Amino acid sequence: MMKRGFLTLGLGLMTSALVGLAHAVEEGDPAPDFSIPSIYADQPAIALADMPGKTVYVDFWASWCAPCLTSLPLYNDLYNKYRDQGLEVVAINVDNPIEDGLDFLLDTPLDFLIPSDPEGDMATQFNVIGMPSSYLIGPDGKVKLVHMGFRPTDMEMIEAAIVANLPD
Amino acid sequence: MKKPASRSLIALSTSALALPGIAEADAPPLTSSLSYKISNYQEDDLSREQVPFGELERYDIDVHQFQFVSPLGRDYALFIDANHENMSGASPWFSTAGSNGQPVINMSGASGIYDSRSEVSLGVRYYGARGNIGGAIGYSEENDYRAKYVSMSGSRNFNNDLTTLTVSLSHSDDSIFPSDAERFNRVRHENKQASSVAVSLSQVLNPVASFQTALSLTGQSGYLSDPYKLQDSRPDGKTQIAFSNSLRYFFIKADGALQSDYRYYRDDFGIRSHTLDLSWFQNVTRSFKIVPMLRYYSQSAADFYTNIDDFLKPLSESQSSDYRLSAFGAVSGGLSFVTDFGGWSATLTAERYVANEKYSAFTVAQPSPGLVQFTRLSLGVNYAF
Amino acid sequence: MRLILSFIMLALLAACSQVQPWERGYLAKQEMAWDSDPLERALNDHIFFSKEASSGGNTAAGGGCGCN
Repeated sequence: MMKRGFLTLGLGLMTSALVGLAHAVEEGDPAPDFSIPSIYADQPAIALADMPGKTVYVDFWASWCAPCLTSLPLYNDLYNKYRDQGLEVVAINVDNPIEDGLDFLLDTPLDFLIPSDPEGDMATQFNVIGMPSSYLIGPDGKVKLVHMGFRPTDMEMIEAAIVANLPD
Repeated sequence: MKKPASRSLIALSTSALALPGIAEADAPPLTSSLSYKISNYQEDDLSREQVPFGELERYDIDVHQFQFVSPLGRDYALFIDANHENMSGASPWFSTAGSNGQPVINMSGASGIYDSRSEVSLGVRYYGARGNIGGAIGYSEENDYRAKYVSMSGSRNFNNDLTTLTVSLSHSDDSIFPSDAERFNRVRHENKQASSVAVSLSQVLNPVASFQTALSLTGQSGYLSDPYKLQDSRPDGKTQIAFSNSLRYFFIKADGALQSDYRYYRDDFGIRSHTLDLSWFQNVTRSFKIVPMLRYYSQSAADFYTNIDDFLKPLSESQSSDYRLSAFGAVSGGLSFVTDFGGWSATLTAERYVANEKYSAFTVAQPSPGLVQFTRLSLGVNYAF
Repeated sequence: MRLILSFIMLALLAACSQVQPWERGYLAKQEMAWDSDPLERALNDHIFFSKEASSGGNTAAGGGCGCN
């Protein structure tokens, strides 16, 4: 009885470890392709394929994640600073229900692209292991930076990485 | 400055920056916050049947609590707590048999007791990739009591941050120097120490539920008696164990959450107890919550509890008529209103507590005539900036 | 023994459940925290410590007072 318990425990832990380690998107990897609907019903779908040659900053966020809400206005400033030099910011909202994300956007208008991923399909593809998570994709389609968590002092490092990877 | 992609370094950097999935759980707070809470609680007066002579009025206590929390650099947080409380009233002094043989209480000092307590504590916590560790020191002073304490605790997350193990340790060094010691032949200066260790394990069960189980062990030694009671003599050591289980469950349809906490306690004074705490957090609007609370508590009596002091018994033998060592049950109910606006939040709480031997889950051999009923009102405000 | 068993049960649950990081919106709510109002918790601990014989819980205790 006891033995079987431990066996189950061991197997369970191993399975969860394997799931946890499966194909996390890392620096140097090609970015997973995506095409997902915008959070705004009246706007077209957002696809990585539509941004060839651009530097794309992909961020996963939710309205219940406090550090995410701190980061978004700072990303908005960054976007407006570098958009003319080829920067796109794609902030994927994982709120479910979507209304929670929309409510936040009512008070905090953001200029960049905001797709909605309520079922976490994209989050699964990127194998997001914490909220928020962001991925800097270079013009060559490869991941240049993986950043997990957010504290305001991180902006310096993120801006430097973006500048270093802007299209020529 | 082009950054080469080195796999080993990346693995390290991702893990070093990984926040647990439950945002904020293991990051220092993003903003500073200042909280203040003022509370008043008033114990019901005793009746003439319980107290044939003298004061009927029990304690009336005002409590002020301040807390300041601030991020400190990228990975640390600072906690400063300050409390002050004022109390006035009287407390049971000794217990005798009344004319009908039932125990009656004699209250301390006809003029009543006025006392205040001030406490400060300072804590620092480090937040790492998979957990946090921190410590605090504190100091509390009354005109007849002083406590100095230190505590440390560390948490580590496992299993994609769905499991958290926390270990905490604390030690307190207290001095007791009763007022009017000479006049009433009380002890002049005594000490006591308390050390405790607690281990807790929390587990996310599903997207709307998590569970925590904890075990705490406390050892006390030194002067554990009540110096103000006429005939109070307790052992000079005590070991306590508490086993707690907590559940948090969110009901999506109802837009509310249930908090349920149960604790089983026992010590070698012979006291066992059950505590069940239930709170329902009902979201009414995005910024307004109503929180009804219900608590049930019951304890068995200490082995040496007596409801009529035996003045012939030598003090070398343990005895106490402290109502807190009797067998009883207590029911309390409360209601809180919580509202948020901008960086502000405010909480208004009212609570009623009624202890009675009839509510006891344990056998009551000797009911105490001094059980407490009280009403509490609190107003708390919090400002984040 | 019962303690050990419940710890094992918990470990088993740990192994089985997988709640993804982006699915933790409800868990992140303030009312789902172990300690959703620290001042309220501290006040309650203090009041009940002064009126009842039991103390101790999920964390190690702070300092004493002349109230017990």
